[in-house]
Amino acid sequence: MLYLFDEQIPTFVGSQVSFKSDCPPDRKIKLDDLFEFKRKRGDFLFSAIVLVVAFFFLISFFTETGWQGKKLPNDFGTYMLHQFGFVETEEKIVRFGRILKQSWVGPLLCLMVLVPAAIWNFKTSFQVHHYRKRFLLPTGIRYELEKYIAAIEYVAYFVLYTVSVPILGYLISTLLLGTFLTWRLGYRTAQWLFIGLLSNLVIVFVFRSFLQIKTPINIWLYDFLPSATRGFMLTYF
Amino acid sequence: MEAFLLGLENLLKPSVLFAIVVGSIGGLTIGAIPGIGPAIAIAILLPATIFLDDLVSLVLLLGVYGSSMYGGAIPAILINTPGTPVNALTTYDGYAMTRRGEASRALSLAYSASFFGGCFSILVALIALFAFGPYLRDLGALFGQRDILMAAVLGSVLLIAAHRQTMGIAALLFGFGFLIAMIGRQTTRKIDRFTFDVEYLFPGLNLIVVIIGIFALSQALILLTGKDDDPPEARVGGGALLGFVELSRNKVVTLLSAFYGTIMGIIPGVGEFVAQFFSYSTARALSKHPTRFGHGSAEGLIASETANNAVPAAAMIPLLALGVPGEALTAMMMVVFFDAGIKPGPDIFENNPDFLFSLFIALLLINVLVLSTLLLSTRFIAKMIYIPNKFLGSLVMILSFVGVFSIRNSLADCIFAVFFGYVGFILRRLDWPLVPLVLGLVLGSIILERMTAGASQVKSLIDLVNRPVSAVLAISILLILCFVIWSMIKNRRSHQS
Repeated sequence: MLYLFDEQIPTFVGSQVSFKSDCPPDRKIKLDDLFEFKRKRGDFLFSAIVLVVAFFFLISFFTETGWQGKKLPNDFGTYMLHQFGFVETEEKIVRFGRILKQSWVGPLLCLMVLVPAAIWNFKTSFQVHHYRKRFLLPTGIRYELEKYIAAIEYVAYFVLYTVSVPILGYLISTLLLGTFLTWRLGYRTAQWLFIGLLSNLVIVFVFRSFLQIKTPINIWLYDFLPSATRGFMLTYF
Repeated sequence: MEAFLLGLENLLKPSVLFAIVVGSIGGLTIGAIPGIGPAIAIAILLPATIFLDDLVSLVLLLGVYGSSMYGGAIPAILINTPGTPVNALTTYDGYAMTRRGEASRALSLAYSASFFGGCFSILVALIALFAFGPYLRDLGALFGQRDILMAAVLGSVLLIAAHRQTMGIAALLFGFGFLIAMIGRQTTRKIDRFTFDVEYLFPGLNLIVVIIGIFALSQALILLTGKDDDPPEARVGGGALLGFVELSRNKVVTLLSAFYGTIMGIIPGVGEFVAQFFSYSTARALSKHPTRFGHGSAEGLIASETANNAVPAAAMIPLLALGVPGEALTAMMMVVFFDAGIKPGPDIFENNPDFLFSLFIALLLINVLVLSTLLLSTRFIAKMIYIPNKFLGSLVMILSFVGVFSIRNSLADCIFAVFFGYVGFILRRLDWPLVPLVLGLVLGSIILERMTAGASQVKSLIDLVNRPVSAVLAISILLILCFVIWSMIKNRRSHQS
């Protein structure tokens, strides 16, 4: 049978839905196939923010790393040239190890990687952004920003959970958040809510009761319990 | 031999055996769930290991690491979605076989290939320990502070160079990881670095807090804000042992892939992806039926699964021998070593040889246990694929909290973890790699520590590289840098032309 388009060719006899493997059809696969990377729409904005952060740390380097109290040989340029064997000097040579031990050396090495990489990344991201604009490809980042904002809701739940554990206790807080999240995510049938409750109970049981992970002990809610029950709850939940 | 027997004896404790069982079955199940990888499981388990015996902790994490790729092959074959990122190439041929109605054959091949790959690299490591054990004990004298410093620099360079298309981003994130390692009060001179007078930052950021944020919480946010998948129904039949028969018919591909996996695992920063790539392309080049690759070729499936499972045991070698982790999972295991007070590095051959044997024998046991579990319960494990993503996200979020909070009951830790989680979430959405950030943090700490410790022996700059090992490592670094620059120029020219 003659097919007009590749998509019409049935891949396997007996298959109901056509399937096309991701494997490149030519004999050789390139390593780049495995590491294929395309810059997404939020990339330019994020690269810009990262560049600003890198420069912020570069500026902070002079005040936040002990740079002000640095101890360097008087003529540092000649000293470094001497280290590489370009210049001979008759002065007493300071041990290079004394420089290496100073607190600012590590941050300097780190910034020597970070700042050029941030500039390089921003430049590449800008080029891609420019290319997209030039060929009228979508550059708006609204969709990405919506996703970032949507995630903040769950960040807020996490922070609330963190705050509630010392007040309500690990057991109650976990069951409340777990069940609420199950409901919030759209699993609202009794069966799913039960599964949510049970899964979270298992988490508490495994981590708190079995592995004896430490959680806060001054729990306001447990103060209302009879002393024996309170002791039991504090030990196991 | 004495060390081997001692190592075996260490494993016979009930707590260790229990950790092997829990780690293996847990890792297998986690691997089978797309969206939850071994990195997340290990990140969440890290704080729990503080309360456990050091060998129990390591064996538990090794169980998760060594078994997750077995589990990851199940969704890759049944629903065309890799359970762990390193099962990506398995989808090429595994799912094609499923479409042909050969799901059981594909699974059986994947299990037997994984088992062979895993056992091959463990046996290589054990034989090396037996054969070179007496010489390895002298390794400590060869490796000084400056040599390990150079090894850590080499690991960093390899890590960045291995991120072919994202080298700039990898360098950037490595730099940020390094910067995070720098935060805190310098112990020798009591000078604060990047603390901005925030008291919480004086002791430095806790590594586990950052790891849980970057790996676990970020993935939880991805799952929570994403959509539930609707994977197709998959049926699994019997005949799981037939894979070994088919494996014996493809001896060359199997051995070659196991060899690639072992070598690539040993090289820091390279790992499973490159191992799979090399073995898959070599198998394709050697095959009598190269056109079948990507359409359900048994050789293709064997190549990818053997290679990726040969990596975990091999990846332990640079970690144990040099104290330099090659990828994210072994970097996380460094935390357990730090907590246990065991310094991985050349001295371990002198001080704790039985510990080394324990780890590799445990890995062997893990492989046997995982294979047996899979042969008995693939149908049950395959059901894990159908757990909805969002629901998983809520569980990961709650588990992450336990992980962070249990370290020292600090609310500030939770806030920092969620901050890193949010950053990780954005990085994941942009497809930026997370591994350089975490390795930057771990390798950065090693570079800093070894540089300060070795400084007293450095009179001039040349002293950093005047020892035999450090000289070889420095030359390797220069060669890699030259290669990277050359390939960048070549790429640029080919783009221009």
